[in-house]
Amino acid sequence: MRQEINLTLTLISALVAHRVRMGLHCIATLNMVDIEELKSKFLDLEFDRTGFIIESDKCVAVASAYGETRPEFVDRAHPDFQVCLPVLASLASGRRLPIDFPSLGGISMDGGKAVTSFAPVRPGTQLSGRTHLHDIYAKSGRSGRMVFLVSRMELYDDKGTHLANTDSRQVIREKPA
Amino acid sequence: MTVQKLSDVEFGMELPAFEPDTSLAAARRFAEAAGYAGGGRFEDHEKARAQGLPGALVPGIMGMGLLTRMIHEWAPSGRITSIDTVFRAPVLADHEHELEAVVTDIDADRCEITLDLSIRNKQQESRVFGTATVVLPKS
Repeated sequence: MRQEINLTLTLISALVAHRVRMGLHCIATLNMVDIEELKSKFLDLEFDRTGFIIESDKCVAVASAYGETRPEFVDRAHPDFQVCLPVLASLASGRRLPIDFPSLGGISMDGGKAVTSFAPVRPGTQLSGRTHLHDIYAKSGRSGRMVFLVSRMELYDDKGTHLANTDSRQVIREKPA
Repeated sequence: MTVQKLSDVEFGMELPAFEPDTSLAAARRFAEAAGYAGGGRFEDHEKARAQGLPGALVPGIMGMGLLTRMIHEWAPSGRITSIDTVFRAPVLADHEHELEAVVTDIDADRCEITLDLSIRNKQQESRVFGTATVVLPKS
């Protein structure tokens, strides 16, 4: 992630430098302010809270479908039976973006998923997923600018223990003006 | 080859390359298990093409699952504490793919290693890349 951000900053700096040379400083600045504006308005504000109970049958079915062999993911009788990480990555919040988030007008694609596990998630546990926008950044290339929106869901159990974070990276290719 | 503990791991070590089943049948099976089935994009080439896709896709989180399986098979006593997968391009069902991983960092104090991950097709085009952090027993 750090590498990606560094790459993005490098790309944006290069774009600004290029546009300044071309006399288009205002356009470049405006683009950057847009992203900064989105960040200041929307980052780190919880916009969704959804409850989940992950059934053991689903855990076993998904883990088996990708060929997992570790018993703690496929054997219900195992003392450390737990939810595999791809099932956590599949949990979807009620809303994908904050209700007042502006339409960026482009084509949206699934840019990736990440899971950070702090403690095993047990099937059948009542979970609460609290979602916020964790990062917003842009990358520019020959075909235009792509905006990346990273939504982070923090998963807690019913005792309030923070079990995991799941990140969904949405990529929006901006329509040319 | 497998590793059991941190001292078995060397910087730059490559995990055994793995060619997973990325057939349409496997993608469909996974989509049905994960609750992603019904739209056709993971189950039927024609329905996927009708949606503007080049063909049916392997679900993104199935790629994550295949990568976790590869790590678990290489390090049977390891625990994956984080995995980040970037979907660079579609993983097409019924195309052959290869999974690769290499050790890029070893943190002896935390008993933690970092792996760079990738899923490539037979044209050596990277479709998914990412990183994982794995905790291993010290000894």
